[in-house]
Amino acid sequence: MSFTLTINGTTHQLEDDQSTVKLLDYLHDTRNLTGTKLCCGIGVCRACTVSVQKGPNRFAEPVIACSTPLATLKGARITTIEGVAVDGNLSAIQTAFLDNFAFQCGYCTPGFVMAAEVFLSWLAVADVAADDLDALIENAIGDHICRCTGYVRYAQALHKVALEMLEAKP
Amino acid sequence: MTPDFGGQRAEISRRTLLKTGAGSLLLTVLAIPDIAIPATHELQELAGQAKRRIDGLAKVTGQKVYARDFNARDMAGWPSQQKFAMFMRATTTEHAFRELDLSDLRKDELPERIVYGDQMHKTQRAPLIMGRRDLLLDSRDDFDQPKGMLYDLVVKRGHAPDFLGQAVALLIFASKPAYDSARKKMQFRDSDFQVYDSAPAPQPDAVTYSPTTRFVRYDADGQAFSYAQNPDDYDELEPVFADAIDLYLDENPQLIRHDYTSDMRTMDPMFMEPESGIAWYERDNRNLHLVLGTQSPDGDVLGISQMYGSTDSPLPLSNITLTPCYPGGGFGGRDSSPFSLMLALAAAYGDGAPVRLSYDRFEQFRVGLKRHACALSGMLAVDADQKIRVNKMQLEFDGGGRKNLSPYVAQLAALCSSGAYDVPMADVAAKAVHSINIPGGSQRGFGGPQAYFAIETALDDIAAQMGWDPIALRLNNIVDQGDRTVSGGAINQSLRLKEMLQHAQTNPVWADRAAIKADYAARGLTYGTGLAMSMQAYGTSGDGVVAAVSMDRDGVIRVASDAVDMGNGSATTLSVVVGPYLGRNADSIEMGGYTLFTQTGLSDEKGGSWSDPGWTAKGVGSSSACLTALHQVHVVQQAARALFLLAILPQAAEIWGLDSLEEDQTKWVDGQLTYLPGGKPPLPQADLAEANFTRGGTSSVLAHGFYQGSWTSADFPINGTLTRLELDGLAVTSALGFGPTPVRRRNTVAPAGNPRDGRYVWAPAVNLIGLTVDKTSGRVQIENAVTVLNAGKVHVPELVSGQAQGGLAMAIGYTLSEDLPPGMDGPASGNWNLNRYHVPHFADVPLNQSYSAGRRSQQLVLLPADGETTGRGIAESVMVSVAPAISNALRDALGVRFQSLPITPAKIKAEINP
Repeated sequence: MSFTLTINGTTHQLEDDQSTVKLLDYLHDTRNLTGTKLCCGIGVCRACTVSVQKGPNRFAEPVIACSTPLATLKGARITTIEGVAVDGNLSAIQTAFLDNFAFQCGYCTPGFVMAAEVFLSWLAVADVAADDLDALIENAIGDHICRCTGYVRYAQALHKVALEMLEAKP
Repeated sequence: MTPDFGGQRAEISRRTLLKTGAGSLLLTVLAIPDIAIPATHELQELAGQAKRRIDGLAKVTGQKVYARDFNARDMAGWPSQQKFAMFMRATTTEHAFRELDLSDLRKDELPERIVYGDQMHKTQRAPLIMGRRDLLLDSRDDFDQPKGMLYDLVVKRGHAPDFLGQAVALLIFASKPAYDSARKKMQFRDSDFQVYDSAPAPQPDAVTYSPTTRFVRYDADGQAFSYAQNPDDYDELEPVFADAIDLYLDENPQLIRHDYTSDMRTMDPMFMEPESGIAWYERDNRNLHLVLGTQSPDGDVLGISQMYGSTDSPLPLSNITLTPCYPGGGFGGRDSSPFSLMLALAAAYGDGAPVRLSYDRFEQFRVGLKRHACALSGMLAVDADQKIRVNKMQLEFDGGGRKNLSPYVAQLAALCSSGAYDVPMADVAAKAVHSINIPGGSQRGFGGPQAYFAIETALDDIAAQMGWDPIALRLNNIVDQGDRTVSGGAINQSLRLKEMLQHAQTNPVWADRAAIKADYAARGLTYGTGLAMSMQAYGTSGDGVVAAVSMDRDGVIRVASDAVDMGNGSATTLSVVVGPYLGRNADSIEMGGYTLFTQTGLSDEKGGSWSDPGWTAKGVGSSSACLTALHQVHVVQQAARALFLLAILPQAAEIWGLDSLEEDQTKWVDGQLTYLPGGKPPLPQADLAEANFTRGGTSSVLAHGFYQGSWTSADFPINGTLTRLELDGLAVTSALGFGPTPVRRRNTVAPAGNPRDGRYVWAPAVNLIGLTVDKTSGRVQIENAVTVLNAGKVHVPELVSGQAQGGLAMAIGYTLSEDLPPGMDGPASGNWNLNRYHVPHFADVPLNQSYSAGRRSQQLVLLPADGETTGRGIAESVMVSVAPAISNALRDALGVRFQSLPITPAKIKAEINP
């Protein structure tokens, strides 16, 4: 038996004996995609967050790659940090993190980008008031650990992009 | 017609020779492969200003920039097959280690090789480490000479480990599946795989790491005695003046005396990227290739050269090729880390294949350098006029199992013991002792967090006891320019502490604290306000810095520096500070340029003299984030200025048809050089660069500076005239590629500082904390934080505020939640991770940047530079006074002094609900 999963638009065929392999190890060892980071390895810090969309689900969800076996991702569409920029064009949140000097060492940044991407894709169609943004942002990235920045500039950058998104809605 | 001398790029060599016991070896430093750093002119709107981090694009798109990202397959010219190293770690120091028992592993899980300490060459097991730290005792203790490591990297069979987590064996696995499977099976089951003698092993005598520190300062009754002021008779008179202080106390019973004690647990830097690296010993040409993310490439390479540089080396070395990567955080935890030695050790057993050593978080907690646990006690005596008279303090740091930098951390703690105050009589002793615990390192603050906690909480207790205003008490004692530190070192720098305290005093978080407290109380919440201040030193007692600035034919500017960017933004800062000199920010920057110094033509051999134009007091030291703003920026700017004088100015004069042209007659405007007297067309920077190459001008300047209270300065012949530069070394490379050729300095003026002063430059900070405490759970929440910071000239405001915000967050964790027990109850057991070591999350830190009542906020008040032209190292200064400010706020909230860090909910509950 085999199964497939799609990473950054490319579909890969996997054998069943890979079912117990953690997604992070697969990304690193097999695909040489090392943008998704290992920090704690037990799902606490969320540096390894990727975006996963399963089956008919309308929205992607953030998934902790260090602790997720491939068996739970059969047929899933996975986006890693390497798949966010399209043809060299950064996403809005990547640009905002850069412009706002949101990160320092940057090791936690891919996880923040992916969680923010998932949040923003939901926000694009959600009925949300601007006053609720702070709480929603805390819900989206509040469990991510950053050791360098104190979170202020990450929060500011995401708030700016989210607010612009809300204001652009008809 | 002027001949075209050709050439396109200004190259700076990445190679240098290192001396070893067996002769010399060639060190080559390579850039990170395929890093996508964008052209800076796309990022920087104006020369001298940063729009984004220069390393930002690579990091935000997930490119390979960290050592952990690389495997052998990513390295050009390496074999693609790599092996995997694992060190087994000691679980006891009470029994002799006998051997491993791997019988529980399947055949396909077995390592291809097991190496014990007694099977290693002595230089592998215990390499001599060069003590290149320049610290206070430089002038009386010759610790720059090689010192033997006190304890082996790997335990010999039949010997009891010296400390928990010491390696007992090296395992080499031939494949990733074997490594992964064995690791999974062995993790958390050390006792099933390690065999120790059942009989107890003899225990060693207690060891105190050398040097220990004692500062006795006596400045009263017309007598002035101190370490710095009495270089000739200090040791002889130290006990005499210590007795004089005791006699003064006996004769003045009216003094208000406050005894204090404090203790702090070990703290893990918890940088996000666990240490990792790959190494390949290429036997044919005796080349050791290393991919490392390190804070101290100079020390790492020297250590490795000691490991393999002897005449009977088991791994004969002719070359080391180092690829330094961006570290995924550092905070001092990667400074002089033994990781690089462990990786180099493993490389010897790869049998020609690259070897990867990668710690996971459990192992990083288990062996990574820590901030020291500390126990201290003392007595502060103040007179009725609110003047501090005497401070006596004793500090003992738990150095853990290896010496590392522990005695020097204790030394700086002693220097910080008087806080930001003028203390006329002080008797301070600090030492670091060996223990079975994980070794301590140079983590952020370097002794400051412990010492400032002591003095700032003691002052607050006296203020509370006497009913004095805590700010007034501090204002009455602040140290200022012209005063002296506890070492007797002169303070020749403006501190502006009074102005900073006044900022805090008028901030609503302090001014309205009673009303805020009442407001919270009305909502059933317990609120308190606390304040503390510090003046953290940056730099050491003598700092050597080297940098190169070059300009290509098309005007592209490149900077190379010996600094390492741990995330603090050094690379970005150094790339923009050349802009005002060269009309354009740097397009690329190479950090960790360890090969630069040897190309300057300078020597830093001991015993040299400033009268020798080829000598400097110090080449380079370990990289510290706090060295960027003043030290690194200065040398980069001096190099940029020299390049302007050599490469730009002559071309402009030629094009403009001027017989003479002075630099102050020109100004860069929008990337074009303009002639201020007028009448000449502006010259685009790229055209000047083209002209420079066409005429075979200077393409690159390599500069070295030495700071010790002031910069060494000298005259250098430039364009036929002597030009004064605050440098001690200059070398130039021509567009033809010749060089770097040293430019002989003249009329050298030595730096003004007395090495015994210890430190010369300071970054003062005042922290103000408002917090609530839940009396039921003991949980504390930071509601308001105000930091008043004297950062001097700010080069990149976003980087400074980011550093301050990060420092605050880390300090909140240190104070309230980051709790590492010693011994096998702590991370030495190998089963600690972020599920039980609680670093601050988003919700633990106030995120709003302006204060409004009832809303959590974090304010950063930067003093205007007011003419100060240089930046101050602020990486550590913000965080060192946060812990006492929190403790002081808790005292205000609960009426209880918490003196033991971290102040966990359990400790709070135990105090208020005994």
